[in-house]
Amino acid sequence: MNAWALVPLLASLALALGARRLGRVLPPRTAAWTLTTASLVTALSTGYVLSLAAFTLIARFPDVARIGRWSSGVLGAGDPVPPAVGPALAAVVLALLAAAAHHAQRDVRDMLLAHSICRRLGPGTAGLIVLDDPAPDAYALTGFPGRIVVSTAMLRALPAAERRALLAHEESHLRHRHHLFVALSGLAASANPALRQCARQVRLATERWADEDAAACTDRVTTAHALARAGLATAAARESDGRTPPRQVLVAGATDADLPGRVRALVGNPLPPRRVATTVLASLVLATAVSALWAGRVTETRFERAQDLYPRAQWTATASGHR
Amino acid sequence: MAGVGHRPPGALEREVLAALAVAERPLTAAEVIEGLQTALAYTTVVTTLNRLCAKGALERSETDSRAYAYALSGPVDEIPAALTARQMSLLLDAGSDRAAALARFVAELRPEDERELARLLGSPGRRRGRSS
Amino acid sequence: MRGGRGASPPRRGRGELEGEVLTVLWAADGPISAAQVQQILGTGLAHNTVQTILVRLHQKGLAVRSPQGRAHLYAPARGQAESAAGLMHDVLGDQDHQAVLQHFVGQLSPEDAATLSELLLAAPRPTSPRRRPSRR
Repeated sequence: MNAWALVPLLASLALALGARRLGRVLPPRTAAWTLTTASLVTALSTGYVLSLAAFTLIARFPDVARIGRWSSGVLGAGDPVPPAVGPALAAVVLALLAAAAHHAQRDVRDMLLAHSICRRLGPGTAGLIVLDDPAPDAYALTGFPGRIVVSTAMLRALPAAERRALLAHEESHLRHRHHLFVALSGLAASANPALRQCARQVRLATERWADEDAAACTDRVTTAHALARAGLATAAARESDGRTPPRQVLVAGATDADLPGRVRALVGNPLPPRRVATTVLASLVLATAVSALWAGRVTETRFERAQDLYPRAQWTATASGHR
Repeated sequence: MAGVGHRPPGALEREVLAALAVAERPLTAAEVIEGLQTALAYTTVVTTLNRLCAKGALERSETDSRAYAYALSGPVDEIPAALTARQMSLLLDAGSDRAAALARFVAELRPEDERELARLLGSPGRRRGRSS
Repeated sequence: MRGGRGASPPRRGRGELEGEVLTVLWAADGPISAAQVQQILGTGLAHNTVQTILVRLHQKGLAVRSPQGRAHLYAPARGQAESAAGLMHDVLGDQDHQAVLQHFVGQLSPEDAATLSELLLAAPRPTSPRRRPSRR
């Protein structure tokens, strides 16, 4: 294990602890972009360095070292961790990989389902499909291009200006492809559970991003009212129906979690760009990626040296009883 | 009062459709503008209303005061199908040999669609032809 | 009558745009370039959009192209009838065929309805009409 490999692990911890605050202070668009990138890079880097560590540990087993023709002594020099940890670590890495693969498969299936629903609905009016439904509902269905689906009950529940805000909110989800941000950060979180809060903040940020776009079309107060009215209407309908909200990847709803937070954000002023925080975050992401790659280099070098010293070190190791 | 915000492309069409989807009766262009609670030019709204008529989403009728009133062209759930049907009609219009186009269209239909088409054509309650 | 020149260009569907471009190709005297198509259509369509549509039509086999310098000249591949029918099926797509056909028949002129009835009553066709793969 080398020190570089610790950086991605520290980054995971930092995101686990700091994501909530970052999600609150960064403007929504910046938050969505930076936190998604950060979670992806961190997940990949962490997986990579853990795999390196597991591989190096397992390589130190005598039988494995013999097959690989490298000196287990050289590989393990200065490393307090016993090789026995290797298989356990490998199992963890594989389990996380399997979880990510399962998550990815579900996301792809959901997106294909959304696409096929879009095709079945037809193009609609500039992408809008109105359903005659007594239950208020509104969501953006992902597709190429997506659709905005609204029920007549929802349209009736809102005055015209708030309807405009609602439609603009859903249109924003489609235009900026928010479902991709949610899918990718969610995938990162499935591969690295420390990133769950980060993924949640990305979800909330995409909603607030769409809120800001809606406010640009109308105004902040109208959008806040629309949000509150639509949110309460949908929540009430879903509760009484017992319907579970569709998975976020399939559909981006106007009425997801953290309604109070979003209303508060709209009633307040738009968040200022936090250049310092954004730069620091970007630098940390870069540092994480670079450290992971460097850890790979260091490991590679160590294996080369271990292979070079294979015949000689074997004698020395046996002689000094060093494992 | 709602501001004159910037609208993304298509937004006005969606707003107008949404407004008419929940209107109790056909609305004139002036009533639509009032209902939208927005400061838009009369001509802009009229253009959008007429465009939606051309697409098959809306239909217009004359009122007593000779102004046009607009309403959905059918039940709200049927609008997507009506839009697609209008697109198909327009494609048919674009060519010069309608009979040949129809012949090719029918040739490529699934058996169940052929049967449905035959049934629809045979039924006496068929609506009048399209007005342009 | 198709959509007019409104304040902002309407977001038209794929099928609609392809139909418009094909119409231009049909009306032209010979193979024409993307730039010429854009000029004729002129309703604020970007050159890229026109280019993409022409490429798509070519991929679908609805347009043929010949190289001219660094660009291509396009012409309709099949007769108008085939192309129109093809696009009609594309537009029909995966939607509820019954519902769309119902509206389609409702919009037909009496002459077209008569033509269609005759076509359907004609000698039985081979039982497997060519299935159109949806290419979305």
